[in-house]
Amino acid sequence: MLLSKKKGFFTRIYIVEIIQGLAITLKNFFFSRKVTIQYPEERRAYSDRFRGLHYIKATNGVENCTACMLCPTVCPAECIHIEAGEQADKEKYPVRFEIDLLRCCFCGMCEEACPKDAIKLSAIYEMATHSREVLRKDMLLEQRGNK
Amino acid sequence: MPKCIIDGREAEFSVGENIVDIAKRIGVSIPVFCYHPGLSVVAQCRMCTVEVEKMGKLQTGCSTPATDGMVIHTNSQKVLDARQSTMEFLLVNHPLDCPICDKSGECDLQDYSFEHGSQYSRYTEERRTYVDLDMGPVIQKNMNRCIHCTRCIRFADEIAKLPEMVAMQRGNATEITTADGRPLETDYAGNYSDICPTGSLTLKDFRFHKRAWFLKKTPTICAGCSRGCSIELQTHDDHVYRIIPRENQAVNQYWMCDEGRFMYHAYQEESRLCVPWFDGQELAWQEALQQLRAKMTGALFLVATDLTHEEVDAVSQLAQFYGAQLLAFGSDTDADYDAILRRTNMAANFHGLKRRGLSWYAGQKAELVIIVRAGRTKLPQLGETPWVGMGVFWEKEKTPSCQGILPGLSYLEKNGTVTNFQGTDQALKQAVAVPGMCRSVPEIVMQWMHGGERG
Ligand code: SF4
Ligand code: SF4
Ligand code: SF4
Ligand code: SF4
Ligand code: FES
Repeated sequence: MLLSKKKGFFTRIYIVEIIQGLAITLKNFFFSRKVTIQYPEERRAYSDRFRGLHYIKATNGVENCTACMLCPTVCPAECIHIEAGEQADKEKYPVRFEIDLLRCCFCGMCEEACPKDAIKLSAIYEMATHSREVLRKDMLLEQRGNK
Repeated sequence: MPKCIIDGREAEFSVGENIVDIAKRIGVSIPVFCYHPGLSVVAQCRMCTVEVEKMGKLQTGCSTPATDGMVIHTNSQKVLDARQSTMEFLLVNHPLDCPICDKSGECDLQDYSFEHGSQYSRYTEERRTYVDLDMGPVIQKNMNRCIHCTRCIRFADEIAKLPEMVAMQRGNATEITTADGRPLETDYAGNYSDICPTGSLTLKDFRFHKRAWFLKKTPTICAGCSRGCSIELQTHDDHVYRIIPRENQAVNQYWMCDEGRFMYHAYQEESRLCVPWFDGQELAWQEALQQLRAKMTGALFLVATDLTHEEVDAVSQLAQFYGAQLLAFGSDTDADYDAILRRTNMAANFHGLKRRGLSWYAGQKAELVIIVRAGRTKLPQLGETPWVGMGVFWEKEKTPSCQGILPGLSYLEKNGTVTNFQGTDQALKQAVAVPGMCRSVPEIVMQWMHGGERG
């Protein structure tokens, strides 16, 4: 329902509000601390719990992942694609492990579901690229943090 | 009828029925490991214990027949404590490697451990481990996961009738293995994986390809022989990953043979013909049928014993349309292959075609033979006679005298009715999408007869 309120003369010409608004702008401009930083020379420190680019944790050079498929199961964006295989010293391992970062919403559910402490979300947040490549296993195996 | 009371609910039963079965019927689930309704009862896992009033000790539900007026409690504190202890005992040596194990998601041990077990293990000794022998091409063994329920041993003895599974040693050192460590020989080895309540015996063919919880399940009928076992096609993204048997007391009880279990691979092969082909080139449907219509003089129609009734109906309409003769082909005998399930006639609808009163092809002469089949029946010996195939064919079957192929559907992709050796009509159900440009036989026939511009 539209209610029409009676407004006073000064309110209707706006001049007082404009002066008040400008006063706030000028006060911030001259007297408050700057909130912007000189990125990329300067960087902000993020919390340890920040959820950025994924990696798979490795122990002695072997990925912790056993291709249990819990992360693709839980992933709400359905962007993890794993193909499992067998090799002599590891009963089950991921032959192919891909994360389609363009679809990922960085919810961190994969990290939470993982029983093997394998998939992790690092603090890296610079992910702009020139191509639409997915994050392949060799790229994922790069250790990007200490979680 | 005698009655007993389970958890305060009255249940009728017939004399001799055990408590687990009666409880299941009225919706009370009692966890079991060693009990399988298709095998003899040994009562050795102790998971199914229940409290029966007026009996001092807990009773095993799988081996205790109910009596009139019996009062049974399946979730009293005493029963729950017993289950928790049994679970802990069974898991003492279990590796708990569900992330790797292929049974995960459909594993009784996992489910009951979650439901009745404890989250923590008190066991600090080194766990018992085994070196695993090769069990042949069907089954992969991992004895560390075994809980010694002996279902596999009983299956070998009682169903496969080939006592090839044995328990060696005893006590803590018990190991389930094949006699003399030989590979499995039975034609029914896939069932070991179905009945094993843990991941000790898994299918090599299915292992690691797909997690059980991703699979879409379609109940249908096996088209491998004239028995027509009830099966479940398990698919994901229109690809069949596994076939398991469904319970059907009248036909296959709980089992199926390996041939039936693995024959779906052939229909997913690259070399299956999925594009209409005529006189050496791949064509659109419209053109292929156009060329075929011009050739239809002195034609003879042959329908295979693996077609559904619906498909035979469609082809007989077409034969009538041309005034041509309609004959059946494929083996015309049927008998028990072994005393278990398999039949010698390897086509799903042999008895259906017999019932329809079709006569069999016996070398009758024709200028052109139209062969209609679903991929299971062997092609007839036609010599030099030119032929056109409608249905499922593979690259290697294109003989020099083959003039054209109209690709049709296999049992994975179609609905229809077939008659098994007992005379029962059973329904095939489509589980995956139609591959390539394939079309069902009735669709092809309709376009053939009436034209139409459907590409
Ligand atoms: S962070 Fe979320 S959306 Fe991204 S891969 Fe993990 S589960 Fe999927
Ligand atoms: S949940 Fe962990 S162990 Fe399982 S597939 Fe994903 S990364 Fe690998
Ligand atoms: S291998 Fe499986 S079926 Fe056989 S005794 Fe062990 S757990 Fe039971
Ligand atoms: S016995 Fe015949 S119908 Fe049953 S699974 Fe084997 S091939 Fe299929
Ligand atoms: S199921 Fe009854 S003792 Fe194993």
